[in-house]
Amino acid sequence: MSLYDRAITVFSPDGHLFQVEYAQEAVKKGSTAVGIRGKDIVVLGVEKKSVAKLQEERTVRKICTLDDHVCMAFAGLTADARIVINRARVECQSHRLTVEDPVTVEYITRHIATLKQRYTQSNGRRPFGISALIVGFDCDGTPRLYQTDPSGTYHAWKANAIGRSAKTVREFLEKNYTDEAIATDNESIKLAIKALLEVVQSGGKNIELAVIRRNQPLKLLESKEIETLVTEIEKEKEDEAEKKKQKKST
Amino acid sequence: MATFFGEVLSVYSRAVEEDDDDLDDENEDERIHREIEEKREVHIVWCPEVAQSLEDSGSNTLQCSDLIIAVGTNAAGFLSAYVLNTESWDAVGHVSLWNERSRGSSRQSIAPLPGEPACLFYRHRDNPAVLVCQSTCYIAEDQLFQWTEKVLGCLQKRGLSVMVLSDSPVAEYKTPDYLYGSAVPFLRSLKSSASKGQALCPALEQPNILTGLPAAVLSHCQVHQIPAVLYQCYTDVISPDSITMETYKPALLCLSKLVKLEPCLSADVLRKFAIITEAQSNLYT
Repeated sequence: MSLYDRAITVFSPDGHLFQVEYAQEAVKKGSTAVGIRGKDIVVLGVEKKSVAKLQEERTVRKICTLDDHVCMAFAGLTADARIVINRARVECQSHRLTVEDPVTVEYITRHIATLKQRYTQSNGRRPFGISALIVGFDCDGTPRLYQTDPSGTYHAWKANAIGRSAKTVREFLEKNYTDEAIATDNESIKLAIKALLEVVQSGGKNIELAVIRRNQPLKLLESKEIETLVTEIEKEKEDEAEKKKQKKST
Repeated sequence: MATFFGEVLSVYSRAVEEDDDDLDDENEDERIHREIEEKREVHIVWCPEVAQSLEDSGSNTLQCSDLIIAVGTNAAGFLSAYVLNTESWDAVGHVSLWNERSRGSSRQSIAPLPGEPACLFYRHRDNPAVLVCQSTCYIAEDQLFQWTEKVLGCLQKRGLSVMVLSDSPVAEYKTPDYLYGSAVPFLRSLKSSASKGQALCPALEQPNILTGLPAAVLSHCQVHQIPAVLYQCYTDVISPDSITMETYKPALLCLSKLVKLEPCLSADVLRKFAIITEAQSNLYT
């Protein structure tokens, strides 16, 4: 195996591109990010990294805007993310000026994915070590959620997670993403928080949440709001448990 | 003598001469070898009580029923957090050695500072037949045999049973299956043939092998028919990490039969032993 994993441009005999697969391992070293597509809202939730005491918290962000109506969360190598985000932002503005229309979420996702794929087929470069969740609204008001990974593939999702415990979160979402669960904006936000609470230690203070509503810019929720929602969720859980207990005893 | 590349080498004449120079050269070589050997010798420094017990016993051995060796920062951190955190353990000795990667031995008699890579011994106060060894320094291949002979030579073989906990990077684990992220870290075990009990995790599959101190200890136990079990933890983190340390928890079942352990552990204690690299490392977000 190790003969075929030194160069990005070399396939192994069984068809693997090992550098790309190793890049996907680098993504797993980043903290969890979850994206939910609601009816009139798209939600991005991330597990906040603990910052050093003297570090400015504002500058350690996993969620960034690409344009007024599109934003993304990433997991993986911080520096690679910065480059991808810069290129995406430039492309968003270039598109506005050239075509006089804001980008569709699919367009900018395709641009990012094409950029990533180019780095898997070049000599002397390594793939980007990030996966991204790109959310936003198109001009016609449809909410979108896309996910890209280091190989340059992208797909649309109803809900997805990337990063450290992505598998656990995705399993939770598969069980709990129902039409009822995303019936209202508040419910969609709570679903994102519930998904993150599955894997985040020490609860609400390690969660950062961002929402985009139709025709509105990105809004980062304040920690107080998140704490309130977490308390609501915990209360709901307790009520559920109480109901189950009562059912059992009758 | 001319070589293929045209340089001229001076070769010593094979004519036998009663020359003093030759003898001096040999002596010099021998001297250098001896110096290196002395420098690389492994010394065990026991505390006065244990040194006294060693002298008092006729065979220069300690009575020991259980020896637990932790090799690597995560194994050592696990023992520090889950076993050595009560007040009932005494530090009874340390091993001082020198090699290119561990330069401790210049201060032979002084115990290593806490946090330094070192090889430390602890003994339980209420049950002095239980010894714990935490080895976080690098022991070179040529020193492994000496280390094992000297340490295990200090202990009586009868009734001795050994448990080794060791860290290893998962990149060195060879398997035909793809390891999903959620499986790591995990434990694998190896036993000497004298060991009768059930291991608490699957055995190490072929073609994986052990190297270093755990291998030396297990080989010694196999040769001398000492029951020994080894738990190797494969982890993808290079620094001490609380999740990796928790992977050793099945070993607590055996340990709790020997000594009283703290029933529950607060996360703060674990965090003390795990290096918090998260805050300082901004490589991954």
